[in-house]
Amino acid sequence: MRFIRCTLLVAFWGLFGSVENAMALQTHGPPEGFYVHQMAHLLFIAALAYLYWHTRKTQETSGKGWRYFQLFCLFLIAWNILAFIGHETYENLNPEDFIGRNTWAAQLSYPITFKKVLYYIAKMDHFLIVPALFALVISLRSFYLDAKTGGNK
Amino acid sequence: MTGLPLLPAITVEFAGSALVILLAFIALRYAWTLIRLEPDNFIWGFLWYFSIALAAFAISRGVGHIIRITLVYTDHGSTWVKLSPFSGGFNTMLMISVAAVTIYYHRGLAAYKAIRSEAEKLADANLKLGENAKELQELNTNLEGLVEDRTRDLSKSEKKFRTFFENSKDIVYFSDLQGNITDINSSGLDLLGADASERTINFHDLFADPAVLDRYLSGLQTRGFVSDLDVQCAGRDGVTRHILLSGNASYGPTGEIIGYEGIGKDMTRLQTITEQLINHEKMATVGKMAAGVAHEINTPLGIILGYSQLIMEDFEEGSEPHTTMQVIERQTKVCRRIVADLLKFSRQAESQKTSLDINEIIKDVLAVTEHSLNINNIEVVRKFSEPLPPITGDAEKLHQVFINLFNNAQYAMAEGGYITIVTSREEGQVKISIIDTGVGIGENIKNKIFDPFFTTKEVGEGTGLGLSVTYGIIQEHDGTIEVESPVSDRRDESESPGTAFHLTLPTAADAPETNEKEIE
Repeated sequence: MRFIRCTLLVAFWGLFGSVENAMALQTHGPPEGFYVHQMAHLLFIAALAYLYWHTRKTQETSGKGWRYFQLFCLFLIAWNILAFIGHETYENLNPEDFIGRNTWAAQLSYPITFKKVLYYIAKMDHFLIVPALFALVISLRSFYLDAKTGGNK
Repeated sequence: MTGLPLLPAITVEFAGSALVILLAFIALRYAWTLIRLEPDNFIWGFLWYFSIALAAFAISRGVGHIIRITLVYTDHGSTWVKLSPFSGGFNTMLMISVAAVTIYYHRGLAAYKAIRSEAEKLADANLKLGENAKELQELNTNLEGLVEDRTRDLSKSEKKFRTFFENSKDIVYFSDLQGNITDINSSGLDLLGADASERTINFHDLFADPAVLDRYLSGLQTRGFVSDLDVQCAGRDGVTRHILLSGNASYGPTGEIIGYEGIGKDMTRLQTITEQLINHEKMATVGKMAAGVAHEINTPLGIILGYSQLIMEDFEEGSEPHTTMQVIERQTKVCRRIVADLLKFSRQAESQKTSLDINEIIKDVLAVTEHSLNINNIEVVRKFSEPLPPITGDAEKLHQVFINLFNNAQYAMAEGGYITIVTSREEGQVKISIIDTGVGIGENIKNKIFDPFFTTKEVGEGTGLGLSVTYGIIQEHDGTIEVESPVSDRRDESESPGTAFHLTLPTAADAPETNEKEIE
């Protein structure tokens, strides 16, 4: 319930107000959203790590489907880490590091530093999240086929 | 080129976002089919909620990326500036949602495992219950067979013992503590002279001697059994029988005596035979003594008779001395006849044995006695088997036997009746039965009737030597004489008052075998 209330509040202020006008309340300045997002990544990583660990050790969650599910967890953890790093890296890049920003010809200016490489790689995070979801599909398909034949639960 | 182009990364981002949305929905579809397939499975429920949250995240993120790329790279960056906080907010919120669903998994799985464990236990219990029910069913089926077999065996055994119980010629009985018979075989009923219709028969009441009853009861109560107890049993029909009794006490579940059971053998016949043997011995002894006495007395009596006749000749007939001598002569002759009878009884009298037809002997006797019998309203019934094999004997002595027997029968039938004479042949023997319908012979004197000088007649009416002489003559002819009173009819086992003398005499060794026929 609290989560829903908070969501509604955020939506309300996002639509009808601005941070500067909310002087009577505690302000939520620009870095807060970034921090919350990064914390959400960390929470997501923790949840997935727990899920991976628990499905590994639990008798009821053994079998082919669960192995794909664990692969999904690992890929998604990796994606979260990459996304987390990507967000951090982006925050540390300057406008001068981009050429033709927000155009199809946008480039990372030379010299290519470690941060820029890291950002570039993080920009390719779909190479992790797509295999993660593919593993999830395979996993659920295995569960479905097993369940249909009365196999693994 | 002044920098590293971002177009490949943007392309991957655009296509990847679309793929992520597609895959998330495929996963959602599988999760939905799973939940439809097994709605009660918690894990599928978790995966369903997880897939929903992930699909929502995929839409939020993927659509956000696609919109951003579309807006920013089509010169609508300002619009994206307005939308981006929502996109980012949704992304954050949905990532938290996926994590929250994982927490739901954490909390729910434990409960699910507990429930599932209980369900498995319940299933196991049901399985075991089913197996037990099956075993029970099998056992029940087998039990029915076993019960059937046992019942058949029991029935067979019951039939065997029931047949043994019913067919036994000995008395087999069961009684309660008071002696009331609870079960008894038919031979037992016959032996006790009782009827099956009688409601209660008290076995203890049938003991003729209370002292024997005491021995019977004390033996059962102290030792639990009695063995070979000689019991005189007064039957309901008034006939006393000798029973050799062996009995046991019956015990209840707690070890207390609840009744008695026993087997008794009718020893009456054996007892009679034993008594007859004793009697024979006694008669032999008496015979020897009588012979000795008779020999000693016979000579003085001859002298007394001779001298009395000589003296009588010296006196005139009618004179007092002559009359006195006549009395002496008469009484001396009586004494000589008694002595002669004693000698006949003791088989000391001389015999002239020839081959004889016993039917002819009886006919000779009847020729003399039948007239007298008829006067006394006695009818003679002849049941002669003819021809009979000859016997070797003294005709005169055998005449004496039948005269004595007919005289006794006549005496027993003062009011008239029947004398039935039956002759027959048996293996190597001729059997003669003289049956009257008189008063019979009491049980208490049956063993004394052959004793010399034993008589039931008034003083002066008989010497008591008739049956003794008869006995002696039959013994001399190697035969037997038995008395039966009352008389049993062997055809229907009924009894009628009267007396039967059964005589057997051996046939002559060289007698030819002939077919016999009965002439009445």
